Amino acid sequence: MPDTMQSDAAQPAVEEPNIPMPMLAARNVCVSYSGKQALFDIALDIPQNQVTALIGPSGCGKSTFLRCINRMNDVIDGCVTSGSIILDGRNILDASEDVVRLRQKVGMVFQKPNPFPKSIYENIAYGPRIHGLANDKAELDEIVEVSLERAGLWQEVKDRLDQPGTGLSGGQQQRLCIARAIAVSPDVVLMDEPCSALDPIATARIEELIDELREKFTIVIVTHSMQQAARVSTQTAFFHLGNLVEVGDTEKIFTNPEDPRTNGYITGRFG
Amino acid sequence: MSGLFLSILIVVLAAAAFWLGRNKALGAVGGNLRDLHSLPGYYGYFSAIWCGLPALLIVVAWSALDGTIIETMVLAGLPTAADGLSDGELSLFITNVQNLVTGNIVANPSAEVVAAANHYRHLQSLSDWGMTVIALGLAIAGLAYARRAIVPNLRSRESVEKVVLMVMIGASAVAILTTIGIVMSLLFESHRFFQQVPVGDFLFGLQWSPQTAIRADQVGSSGAFGAVPVFAGTILITVIAMLVAVPIGLLSAIYLSEYAGPKVRAFAKPGLEILAGIPTVVYGFFAALTIAPLIRGWGEGLGLDVSSESALAAGLVMGLMIIPFVSSLSDDVISAVPGALRDGSYALGSTKSETITRVVLPAALPGIFGAVLLAVSRAIGETMIVVMAAGLAANLTANPFQAVTTVTVQIATILVGDQEFDSPKTLSAFALGLLLFIVTLMLNVVALMVVRKYREKYD
Repeated sequence: MPDTMQSDAAQPAVEEPNIPMPMLAARNVCVSYSGKQALFDIALDIPQNQVTALIGPSGCGKSTFLRCINRMNDVIDGCVTSGSIILDGRNILDASEDVVRLRQKVGMVFQKPNPFPKSIYENIAYGPRIHGLANDKAELDEIVEVSLERAGLWQEVKDRLDQPGTGLSGGQQQRLCIARAIAVSPDVVLMDEPCSALDPIATARIEELIDELREKFTIVIVTHSMQQAARVSTQTAFFHLGNLVEVGDTEKIFTNPEDPRTNGYITGRFG
Repeated sequence: MSGLFLSILIVVLAAAAFWLGRNKALGAVGGNLRDLHSLPGYYGYFSAIWCGLPALLIVVAWSALDGTIIETMVLAGLPTAADGLSDGELSLFITNVQNLVTGNIVANPSAEVVAAANHYRHLQSLSDWGMTVIALGLAIAGLAYARRAIVPNLRSRESVEKVVLMVMIGASAVAILTTIGIVMSLLFESHRFFQQVPVGDFLFGLQWSPQTAIRADQVGSSGAFGAVPVFAGTILITVIAMLVAVPIGLLSAIYLSEYAGPKVRAFAKPGLEILAGIPTVVYGFFAALTIAPLIRGWGEGLGLDVSSESALAAGLVMGLMIIPFVSSLSDDVISAVPGALRDGSYALGSTKSETITRVVLPAALPGIFGAVLLAVSRAIGETMIVVMAAGLAANLTANPFQAVTTVTVQIATILVGDQEFDSPKTLSAFALGLLLFIVTLMLNVVALMVVRKYREKYD
């Protein structure tokens, strides 16, 4: 796969938000499923310690793009990805990239909470164990506590860490999954519609959490809720039919979009 | 008129009733379907059911019972000479009479037999006529009733569906009643056995040699009915079989569900199913003629004393037979683990093998456990392989190179051929069967409970 970063650095479609070095820089990302192209030449910078929201109608490719960032598309048969996404100076889309190491750096939270059928403690300890992040039990306990604390779940579950994670409520399960993702100390956390299976109260709780997590992690979130994108993100990217139509500061996208399609979508005229 | 011909006639009548009922309903509303409560077909079924069902039931019940009733009546009508006859002589007498009636040759029938046969014939023709008249009468009465009952707002759909429901309940009852019947026959025969052999001796006795002496001075045929060595043999062979089947079946299930591409799957799945389709008798040849001599040869090479009907040979082949059972059930269970769990694990940076061993298998474990238990009860009940490859001598041993016998082998050998059903030797087969049934029933119940609990978790 050629490194195309140089030639595309000047591509005008990317509007640099007013922040320093991007954490992730995507260029020329194309994805096709069994020959049917789903993403066309995406170029997008994800700024560090910010929340980037990916919005757009169903089937626009925003989830596909999200899943490129931790190579989760590899699991899908017939999925071909080209282009480059630079993280820490390495093209993570390159075939030689070790996906195990990549996914330790780029965690993911899914649409539906998917705790393992294990205890709450084991759910969190799973990642640190497989990556050998703790030298002894005390260290592992520490990681579990800190992760749950950061996910705002510690107070609720500290007395029942040995109970199954599947026994928690939907919102708690999703926070458990967030805690599980941040337990391996990733740089980036991807969230694929993390609130779509939750009630409004649990959703509000997760949104608060996203805001707090921003200090430590770079977050990319796919959402169908325009309000949610407006509330939690600092940068918003609008996808349509596999193309990145517009990207910019959230405030600007929602108040003064340049592209008529963006305007149409955020005002609810289509999608 | 014979029962079969009568039944056909009733079915034809019912078909006519369907047509009549349908037309009656249509005629009653002048062809305007909206004025009918149900679709016209239901009125047809309604009158067909009224016409056919009671009549057919009568024919079936009559045919089932008339033989016994006629026999009783013939016997009751016999002159007093028959009074002194024993049960056996009576049944011989009736057989002779029946043979005469059906036209078989009976050597020198006595005057009594001929008289009884004539009586029998007379009663039979009376019964046939009675059945015909009553059944046809019922059919026509039903048809007439249905025709009169059909009015536009008759709720015929509800009646028809009620009958269909009854038929379905009847169908389910057949399975349940059969089970009850089998258990009952086991219980009664076992009860007779336990009248002759104490339960404690049977359950805890360490000697099994079911030959009973015909003469008092016969040697070595004391008749010992201790089931322990027989069950120990079953357990030994089952353990060997599971040691073969569980690892191989489970690993192939993991490979098939997690690693194999669609091409390999398309080839390997049917391959495994062919293994499941081989008749057990063929496995029996294979065990007795190929595996057993092979093991014996190896054992001799290593200086071991291996019996030519070793538990090992039978167990190994039984294990092979069960592999598809374990692998196909485990494959289903593993595939049923939600993909979201795998995604969650991959997204944390775990490799495929870590995901399988730490997430997928623990999640599938209850289901796999259930599959293994079902396989165990299959292995315990398996007969043909052990009949051919395991021995008959009831050795109480844990040595897989020795010959052992199993419960199923004993039952089969005891009941093969002509038997006297009053000796404890024959009856012991039922006691063994009962115990075996209880064991496999418990295994199945536990397995189903575990599997059900597992299902609840993800649905």
